[in-house]
Amino acid sequence: MSFNPFSLAGMSVLVTGASSGIGRQTAISCADMGARVIITGRDAVRLEETRGRLEGDGHVAVAADLTDAEGLARVVDVAGVVDGVAHCAGISMIAPFRMVSEKAIDAVFKTNFHAPVLLTQRLLAKRQIANGGSIVFISSTTAHIGTIATSMYAASKGALFPAARALGLELATKQKIRVNCISPGYVNTPLLDGINNGAASIEQNYDLAPLGLGEPEDVANAVVFLMAGASKWITRSTLIIDGGLTVPISIS
Amino acid sequence: MKKNPFSLLGKVVLVTGASSGIGEQTAISCSKMGATMIIAGRSQENLDATLSRMEGQGHRAITGDLTVAEDLRRLADAVGEVDGVVHCAGVRGLSPIRMVSEKFMREVFAINYDAPILLTQRLLFRNLIRARGAIVFLSSTAAHLGVHGVGIYSATKAALRATTRCLALEQAKRGIRVNCLSPDLVETRLLRVDPQVAGPNEWLEEQRKRHPLGLGEPEDVANAIVYLLSDASRWMTGQTIVMDGGVTF
Repeated sequence: MSFNPFSLAGMSVLVTGASSGIGRQTAISCADMGARVIITGRDAVRLEETRGRLEGDGHVAVAADLTDAEGLARVVDVAGVVDGVAHCAGISMIAPFRMVSEKAIDAVFKTNFHAPVLLTQRLLAKRQIANGGSIVFISSTTAHIGTIATSMYAASKGALFPAARALGLELATKQKIRVNCISPGYVNTPLLDGINNGAASIEQNYDLAPLGLGEPEDVANAVVFLMAGASKWITRSTLIIDGGLTVPISIS
Repeated sequence: MKKNPFSLLGKVVLVTGASSGIGEQTAISCSKMGATMIIAGRSQENLDATLSRMEGQGHRAITGDLTVAEDLRRLADAVGEVDGVVHCAGVRGLSPIRMVSEKFMREVFAINYDAPILLTQRLLFRNLIRARGAIVFLSSTAAHLGVHGVGIYSATKAALRATTRCLALEQAKRGIRVNCLSPDLVETRLLRVDPQVAGPNEWLEEQRKRHPLGLGEPEDVANAIVYLLSDASRWMTGQTIVMDGGVTF
């Protein structure tokens, strides 16, 4: 099929958190759709594994910790000018509000909010996001719902919405760079396994979504849509992709 | 390139309002993505024009006025089994509330809300929407925010959003997904002959300036519809995608 407004051919896309879960599948799906991807993640071995699964040539892997200034600078150096950035790196944190430590708040905000924001800031400062490009932040339905023991995780993900809205406006007029968020529900990933170990009963939550548990592909395809020319008029939006989880819930 | 998850190959899709604007472009884009289309509209001549711009084989056009019960029944009878339904037929209906007549209000609701819901009802009742199919309603950013002069129009569009969520829950068991799109101003041919736009086009120029990414093109909406019809969005239901070129006020 020649007509394909969802093609990413000719585009370079930087994907964080690409060593597992949604980030890994996002890298694979973007490459499948023709993009050259620059992947980053903390685990060099698993990152290399992801790289081995990428279609096409020219892909680059950079093992780095984005919460570390040196790691962040290295990713910016290696990335070069990109057309898209998919911020998939994230950590979960399960703790009742009254048990949350300052250290834990710092850790979850550093990875889920500061790192993607600073990476974007650095790329923009060095004009490394091409005009007409697309930035996608992976948030979470938890940020809309606010469930038990997720207060700080939800807050770190929820902080991305207004940041993305403001950034989207700053970048729209001249650079035509689009900024959007995706809020996935419960997706079959290692991060979810981590949550499971924290609280066994969370498994019941999967049944809450009318369409069941999601697969990383479901989120990765939404990222492809938001990267592609097909979505060139969509900015400052949030796509909730959750199998219907939040449909019967009053959310903001 | 591996199998394209956005492909509509092998899917049969019904689109209403296919005579012009977003509906017409939806028919064209879906056909280019491989779907077999059934296009509905009031004018045979316009539908023929749409058909001539579509790609692929086996498409059908059915004429009728969806606000007429007999036409709606005839359409549902003629459609057969489908994988997707896209409700693009609609009117804008401009009138400040203090000037609104009951007749006007009923007309706008009949076209924008009653028709798509009753058509969907009829198709679902007869099991004509296949398992893992997709239904897409066209709402509007006017359903999310206040706009001068469109009090009734925005109500019909908000009603579609509300029903989208309920229907999504009802149909999840069969894996049928129900989603909604809220575009802001899209530059269709119809818009350029809109009485509000006629004349020096000052209003249209002002609208273009309001949108940092410009006004929408029918292709933009059609592409989002392709996404919602394709397997790429198989885990998305009950949602409304806002597309507005970044407009803030």
